[in-house]
Amino acid sequence: MNEEKTQTPAHDGPLLEVKDLHVSFFTPAGEVKAVGGISYTLNYGEVMGIVGESGSGKSQEAYSIMGLLQSPGKVTGGSITFEGEDVLAKDKKEMAQFRGSKAAMIFQNPMTSLNPVYTVGNQLVEALRAHDKSIGREEAAKRAMTMLELVGINNVEKRMKQYPHEFSGGMRQRVMIAMGLICSPKLLIADEPTTALDVTIQAQILELMKKLQKKTHMGIIFITHNLGVVAEICDKVSVMYAGKIVEQGLVDDIFYQPSHPYTLGLLRSMPRVDAEEHERLIPIEGTPVDMLNPPEGCPFAPRCESCMKICLQKMPPYVEIGEGHQAACWLRVQERLKKTEGKGESERG
Amino acid sequence: MKNPRFGSLQPDMEDILDWSNYNPGDFQTANADEKENFITERKSVGYWADAWRRLKQNKVAMVAAGLLILIVLFAFLGPVIVPYGYDEFVKGSENMHPWHYSYEDQLKARELMAEASMDPEEAVAKAEAEAEAEGRTLTPRELAVIRAKAKAGQHGEGKLTMEQALQDIGAKAKPFGYSFSELERKANGEKVFPHVFGTDGFGRDIMVRVMVGTRVSLLVGLLAALLVLVVGALYGSISGYCGGRVDAIMQRIVDIIYAMPEVLVILLISVVLNETLLLYADTHQGNLFSTAINALGTKLIAMFIAFGLLYWVTMSRIIRGQIIQLKEQEYVTAAKALGAKGGRIIRSHLLPNCIGQIITTTFLQIPSAIFLESFLSYLGVGVSAPMTSLGSMASDALKGIISYPYRLIFPAVVLSLMILCFNLFGDGLRDALDPRLKK
Amino acid sequence: MAKYLVKRVLMAVVTIFMVALLTFFLMNAVPGNPWLSEKNPPQAVQDQLNEKYGLDQPKPIQFAKYMGNLLQGDLGVSIKVNKNKPVLDIIKEMFPTSATIGALSLGWALVVGVTLGCISAYNRGKWVDSLLRVICTIGISLPSFVVATMLLYVFATSLGWLPPIFDSSLGIKSYLMPCLALGLYPMCYIARQSRTSMLDALGQEYIKTGRAKGLATPAIVFKHALRNALIPVLTYLGPQIAFTLCGGFVAETVFTIPGLGRYFVNAISARDYPVIMGTTIFLAAFIIVMNLIVDLLYKAVDPRINLTKGGD
Repeated sequence: MNEEKTQTPAHDGPLLEVKDLHVSFFTPAGEVKAVGGISYTLNYGEVMGIVGESGSGKSQEAYSIMGLLQSPGKVTGGSITFEGEDVLAKDKKEMAQFRGSKAAMIFQNPMTSLNPVYTVGNQLVEALRAHDKSIGREEAAKRAMTMLELVGINNVEKRMKQYPHEFSGGMRQRVMIAMGLICSPKLLIADEPTTALDVTIQAQILELMKKLQKKTHMGIIFITHNLGVVAEICDKVSVMYAGKIVEQGLVDDIFYQPSHPYTLGLLRSMPRVDAEEHERLIPIEGTPVDMLNPPEGCPFAPRCESCMKICLQKMPPYVEIGEGHQAACWLRVQERLKKTEGKGESERG
Repeated sequence: MKNPRFGSLQPDMEDILDWSNYNPGDFQTANADEKENFITERKSVGYWADAWRRLKQNKVAMVAAGLLILIVLFAFLGPVIVPYGYDEFVKGSENMHPWHYSYEDQLKARELMAEASMDPEEAVAKAEAEAEAEGRTLTPRELAVIRAKAKAGQHGEGKLTMEQALQDIGAKAKPFGYSFSELERKANGEKVFPHVFGTDGFGRDIMVRVMVGTRVSLLVGLLAALLVLVVGALYGSISGYCGGRVDAIMQRIVDIIYAMPEVLVILLISVVLNETLLLYADTHQGNLFSTAINALGTKLIAMFIAFGLLYWVTMSRIIRGQIIQLKEQEYVTAAKALGAKGGRIIRSHLLPNCIGQIITTTFLQIPSAIFLESFLSYLGVGVSAPMTSLGSMASDALKGIISYPYRLIFPAVVLSLMILCFNLFGDGLRDALDPRLKK
Repeated sequence: MAKYLVKRVLMAVVTIFMVALLTFFLMNAVPGNPWLSEKNPPQAVQDQLNEKYGLDQPKPIQFAKYMGNLLQGDLGVSIKVNKNKPVLDIIKEMFPTSATIGALSLGWALVVGVTLGCISAYNRGKWVDSLLRVICTIGISLPSFVVATMLLYVFATSLGWLPPIFDSSLGIKSYLMPCLALGLYPMCYIARQSRTSMLDALGQEYIKTGRAKGLATPAIVFKHALRNALIPVLTYLGPQIAFTLCGGFVAETVFTIPGLGRYFVNAISARDYPVIMGTTIFLAAFIIVMNLIVDLLYKAVDPRINLTKGGD
């Protein structure tokens, strides 16, 4: 499924590098480590999915790239490098320039993410003119209309003068995408862009994003809790659990060789077209850990079917499963140990 | 196929891939107990416990609550302790300041005044006698001065006032008001309760009056809030729940009431009802209602009725809005689908969901009722004499504001403090009960 | 739009009619008659007075007559306070002063209140915010007569800087204290309200969108948040106009301002029926018109409001 997506990108090499990123929220009850040391690299023109359940820190991680973390939240460690520039070192003004022009973001709920009291056209033009004052209003409006057409909105001239409440949910998300892309950013972060939409509209939006990605070669970080969406659009996937990436790899790796029990659980809880008739969906039991006092060991341990003693004591290291496919699980460590040092096998089999 | 690169995530694999780093039991399956112990789960806290915790953390609200308790004690216990009645004219204690001069100082000052108003010849004779006792005679010059002073003291200009006399002898004011006769009794060993805030022109103790006024305010606030709650909640929930034509008609009524100039109408209603009630109490003596009228005072009852007629509008709107919002939510639809009846749905599904807002709105009704009561009393249509109220005290004080500013200050401060505490505590209550608002 | 206007005007007429009916009913529910309140004149004199002012007729006819005259713009004449002076003339004479003071008070309250609210919201949790919150809570806890009399005591009686008795010929000096006293409460209320709604607006998704677009902070605060935050403030403004006008009663009493409020209070205690009726109807009409204007403003600020559907 990857072949059709890959074209020669305009540039090669890393667009965004996140290293050992830590994000904490300093609440009155104590420090909540929302993101606890995650790293990944996104190349030009690549689409990466970040999958995880709500509260796993996937949105907060994205907000820190955009400098949008809200007040009690802070980046407490690590680095974010965008096209060789240190994003975290930028001051407020530079950050404002960075947002929208180089990296854009669209949000989950198109119903609330457009300002209800301004026309769609106004908000589109504003996005453009925030980064280039030299563009006149009329020209900006023209560009905005072209963008609207690009995202599949008809009758743009009239639509420009309408208010968000006059648009349907899917149409608004299209507007959001148009707004995100109006300055031709190199990176688009989509935070659950289809979650709030009807299933049929979801498919349309995904199709649109796929089409636009091919056209523009931008890198996309696609945040979702829905593995089906990931299969549809992404090149590679990071699976997050409790603020940590537990598994990371190409889409095919994740789907055909899931190496972390949590990934496996996600796959098993997902309905499949090719499932046997009597095959049942298996939910993941239990609830996520309390992020206020995260335990020492693997955060997934208490919900894990094959939890071992060591899982409760230490966070597992990342084990290379295949090329570019890694998982943080003691099971994989154990396997590797058995493989590399045969003598251990006989002792502990 | 492209080859995506990942950043390096892990510590050196070589270190980890060594059996000697691990204990023998490490890779055995953990049992359920171990898993259980692993999570240090926070106790799940219920809504009320959580609200209470938030409220306790809010220092401002807690201080306000403490002050409110003090004010309640002041208003309800105070009049029991103080031996004066709020409508008692204490003879000889009229127009007293909330401070006094000691008995000795006042005696001295009186002597000085008596001296100053003596007949010139008497003064000369007295001075001569004094001089003789000291063994010297007065020069004519000295005699002339004494004579002149006495003369001036007798006629007009130079006449020594009590204040001047006290100043001349260097007397210092002490807190609390005592009249001279009270000081005398005190000097004789009697126990006399001071007029802590002074007295008014009729010799009524201001502190007791402030206490009773506060009590009136508190009662008015509380009862009005309850009234507003009952009427508003009933009206709002019926209107919101029924919807359709019933709602439309009920809302038009609300619109009309909303558009009425409430203060005007309240003024009218209280004046009208006041006289009607008076007449009723006169003609129907002995029955329960007229006893109530006599006990509370007609103007107070009129005020309640006005409140009950007009002030529930906001409350009913809030509750109607909440109910309409909640009605559309799935769990209510579910309850309906299961065959739950209307009243039951309101009771067990809708009200628990807006209880926080109801409590807050009700509570904040108290200061606004106190506000209105004092406003009406200030204009002279509120609480009727001999019953007192902070508003009417402030209004009475306006006449003597130059000489007796504290007659305004005491009731005004207590009133403002009381409303402030209610507002602060109400804010705290809202933050605690409706965490969504605080974020 | 036109349909909506017609509907609203009809509603307004009904409301005014209700106010008139209620006032009439209330006044006549009072036992006795206006002539009894001072001295007790002989029955013959009372009858004569009743006849002269049409009070001898049955109540429904009195009301019908009054309403008929009202439609012709005739509010009757004063029967007690300002004998035989047309009520309309009294209102014409008194209202401008009340309205000026009310408008000035509400004007400064709105400007300062919204500004303080925004400052407070933008600095949430910092000392500026705490200070402003305390000040505003104190502000809404001070009854207007307390503020008015305190101002009177400090600035007029003790310091002698400002005239204790209102005199419009003194210009701004005379307006200062009444406007301060009258505007303090709405100012603090508006500040609190705008702080809440500003915080609410700043927490909305579209603010995040704005920031993600790369807008500068002022554009976000003033363009995107403020306009949304003003909507709830506006809702409050309608009733507040009524409140300020009627709250003017106190300021007018304290500062001896020849305004409608003070006149109304006097008329009530003197039971001057036509003056009470006329003033109530006039003020009610005024407030209703103001509410209508506010609702139309509302539409201008919030495009989501569909007025033809009733606006709720």
